[in-house]
Amino acid sequence: MSLAAVFTNGIYRENPVFKLTLGMCPFLAVTTSVENALGMGAASTFVLLCSNFLVSLFRNVIPNKVRIPCYIVIIATFVTLVDMVMNAYVPALHKSLGIFIPLIVVNCIILGRAEGFANKNPVMASLADGLGMGVGFTLAMVLLATFRELLGNGTWLNVNLLGQAFRNQPLLIAILAPGAFILMGFIMGTFNILESRGGER
Amino acid sequence: MGEILKLGFVLMAVALLAAIALGFVNSRTEPVIREQQRQQRIEAMMQVAGSLSETVPAEEMAYDTLDIGANPYAAVDESLTVARFSGPADGPLGYTFIAYGKGYSSTVQTMVAVDLSGTVTGATILFQQETPGLGAKCEGGWVDQMIDKTAESCSVVKDGGGVESITGATITSRAVSESIRDGLEAMESEGLFGEGGER
Repeated sequence: MSLAAVFTNGIYRENPVFKLTLGMCPFLAVTTSVENALGMGAASTFVLLCSNFLVSLFRNVIPNKVRIPCYIVIIATFVTLVDMVMNAYVPALHKSLGIFIPLIVVNCIILGRAEGFANKNPVMASLADGLGMGVGFTLAMVLLATFRELLGNGTWLNVNLLGQAFRNQPLLIAILAPGAFILMGFIMGTFNILESRGGER
Repeated sequence: MGEILKLGFVLMAVALLAAIALGFVNSRTEPVIREQQRQQRIEAMMQVAGSLSETVPAEEMAYDTLDIGANPYAAVDESLTVARFSGPADGPLGYTFIAYGKGYSSTVQTMVAVDLSGTVTGATILFQQETPGLGAKCEGGWVDQMIDKTAESCSVVKDGGGVESITGATITSRAVSESIRDGLEAMESEGLFGEGGER
């Protein structure tokens, strides 16, 4: 597979959220606004790139039997580093993303890609995979966040789109936890319909 | 046996490298972070202190700090420290303090300015990690509702007070308004308001 194919693979054919159903916890938790979805996506993509890079680099050094604990240590270290550096040098961004950063550790996309791709592929391919998966994850979150923010708050990226009358009485459930599950169900259903139709042709 | 030792050694090496990297970065970033937090507190304090007087800007005010015996926030801070602001010519103007309220997913910190009669004149959220889109809205204009509240009226409408809750985030709204109320009551019982303010 060429690097470009590896990259687009993560965005559509193996989209981490809609196809692999990985990373549901942050996907449902942070999609209350488009801004949060973008921030979480950027932070996850960065950690994915770093962990894929290191895991791929040391794939022949780390013994098979203890690979999972090694990956976890690598991922947790990167997340903590990102957290500390952001807190010190870009406090404004850290303030709006603060709670999501520790959540990246438990994002199974990152461990899933270390285990499923980076430990058997060369460094460049692993970087392309990390970037593709990160972008795919971000796009999926932005999609769900678009519906949730629009229905639950009447805005998109804090821009008021549906008028003040709607904002005073929004569909609050879209922003609350049940709304995340309901809308995710609809989006996944739509994806499956589109895909099965595509298959028939 | 030899294999177990080898595996253990690899794991130890990975953990050691991670610990060294973390320790190094932490030693570099920690003082920066602490300085930033101190700066943020001072900025917030000066911002709310500006509301204590219409004529004296915050930069011209002087302040000293008082430790108050009764501390409603014993769980998070050793003592309730209040900054007493006074103008260059007109004696004490009021106080600022940090209110800590246990919200839905974090302890919300609010910097509050209160005048000598015990009425809130300004408030700003210092720190919160409430649900984005719900409780996190306390950071916008919502907290300005605290202005003109006293210990009696500083609770949500549901509880008979004068603060409109954030839709879907009553816990956060209660945390902020009740933590301010607790602080006001503690200062009241210390005799900081009314005539006592001149002591």
